[in-house]
Amino acid sequence: MSGRMQALVVVVVMLAVAAASKMFLHSGDPHVEVAAEALFYIAPGFPFTNSLLTMLVVDVVLIGLAFFATRNIQQVPRGLQNIMEMVLEALYNLFRNISPKFIDRAFPLVATIFLYVLISNWSGLVPGATSIGGCVPKEQASAKIAMVQEGANAGSIQYMAAAEYDNPYTSCAPGYALIPFGRPPSTDLNFTFALGIISFLFFQFWGFKTLGIGYLSKFFNLQGIMSFVGIIEFISEIMKPIALALRLFGNVFAGEVLIAIIIFLVPLVVPMPIYGFEIFIGFIQAIVFALLTMAFLSIATTSHDHDDEHHGEAKGHAH
Amino acid sequence: MEALGFNLFLFLAQLINFVVVVGLLTYLLYKPVTKMLNDRTQRIEQSLKDAEQVKLQLANAKRDYDAEIAKARQEAAKIVAQAQDRAKTQEAEIITQARREADKVRDEARVSAVQERDALMREAKGKIAELVTMTASQVLAAELKARGHDKLIAESLAALDRRN
Amino acid sequence: MEGLNLVATALAIGLAAIGPGIGIGIIVAGALQAMGRNPEMQNTLVTYMFIGIAFTEALAIFGLLISFMIAFRVIT
Repeated sequence: MSGRMQALVVVVVMLAVAAASKMFLHSGDPHVEVAAEALFYIAPGFPFTNSLLTMLVVDVVLIGLAFFATRNIQQVPRGLQNIMEMVLEALYNLFRNISPKFIDRAFPLVATIFLYVLISNWSGLVPGATSIGGCVPKEQASAKIAMVQEGANAGSIQYMAAAEYDNPYTSCAPGYALIPFGRPPSTDLNFTFALGIISFLFFQFWGFKTLGIGYLSKFFNLQGIMSFVGIIEFISEIMKPIALALRLFGNVFAGEVLIAIIIFLVPLVVPMPIYGFEIFIGFIQAIVFALLTMAFLSIATTSHDHDDEHHGEAKGHAH
Repeated sequence: MEALGFNLFLFLAQLINFVVVVGLLTYLLYKPVTKMLNDRTQRIEQSLKDAEQVKLQLANAKRDYDAEIAKARQEAAKIVAQAQDRAKTQEAEIITQARREADKVRDEARVSAVQERDALMREAKGKIAELVTMTASQVLAAELKARGHDKLIAESLAALDRRN
Repeated sequence: MEGLNLVATALAIGLAAIGPGIGIGIIVAGALQAMGRNPEMQNTLVTYMFIGIAFTEALAIFGLLISFMIAFRVIT
């Protein structure tokens, strides 16, 4: 009975906190921008975006982890080394299931994709990462890249502290948009497309290398109906990196927007389960990106002799 | 495209950054960890192999030891048997020798006894003859005067011989 | 025009979610059935299940992106 009472008390307190936060914490409109916002301009046309800043942070975290895990490498692992070993072994076994032949060549790339995308996805969930920033007038925030590319106002973004407005909001005043200093690289299409292109070049390279010039006969074929199949395969091949990039971007960006909107509606308590869900989604997307790279590699290096199986797979990939 | 945030410089920056990170992680993380894992696997396999070897050696040693013991036991048995054989032959030899010696001693004793008896007999015969002669001569000397004495002596001697 | 934009946003993600929703249901149902019949295969099945979900989900993500683009006036 006391256990149920405790649970009841916890639920009531949490609901009260949620209601109170809704009443007393006012926030401005949630600022959602598909493009990464520029913090300043290195050169006209080359903005230093908040996703670029977070990318550097992710780099430091990842390389720091790698460095401290292997700084004092021992036969009997302890601490960080043990964790990294477990992670890498689990990844190795997972990817080996997909393509045992290419695992040793592909492992550095796919493991880095996994680790990088994972930390990148989770970087948006760190408290403050996407909510601390500067306020700029809305017109400037949304049109800045086009404006600067015209060369009119290079490097002229005006930051104003929220307190300057003496407003009742915990966020920027109406008419002003918050430009956060952090933004997960996975919510920047430049990053996801860069990753997609790297993955694409990688499995195309190994496809050519293992099958030789015959690799092209998958796409360009003049044997009746097969020529049509080749065109479909070609389109589906082109769609692979685009789908990879958009899938990662869409999932993580949708998660960020979801959190922003939920926080706008109810600032406390209610976003908690969403955070848990986003941690899961971030992990799944990291795994999926790496797994799909591995799967595409396995498909690209499979000879056309296994015609029937291959077409079954290819149709599944044609979106 | 710009509204979506596409920017060639940003794209290239992300691309190059990722390639650099792949390189750095390969150098810092994957190579050492893979090497270490391989080393560890090798070491474990080596120790397992060593353990197998030791077990094998132990089994070999045990077998050798057993064989050695069995051989020793066999040899001991052989030696005992030989010793027994030799003892038996020696015993037999000793017995035969002893028997032979005893026979010899007995024969010698018999021979010497016979000889002694013969010598005694001869001596006794001589003595008796002497005595007979002496007595006869004395008696005859007293009774007769050198008549038919020799014939009497011869008859007495012959009678003595016959009695013998 | 504002109202039409909102309708277009909602329709884009709403319609795009129907197919993938059914598809993911079918994928997971098949995977769970296979796991129930052959539990040793669980690891491999989960891997391929997620790959399949990723392919299917991509369609909904495309719809979501279109809806974002309409909502934030990237395309008008």
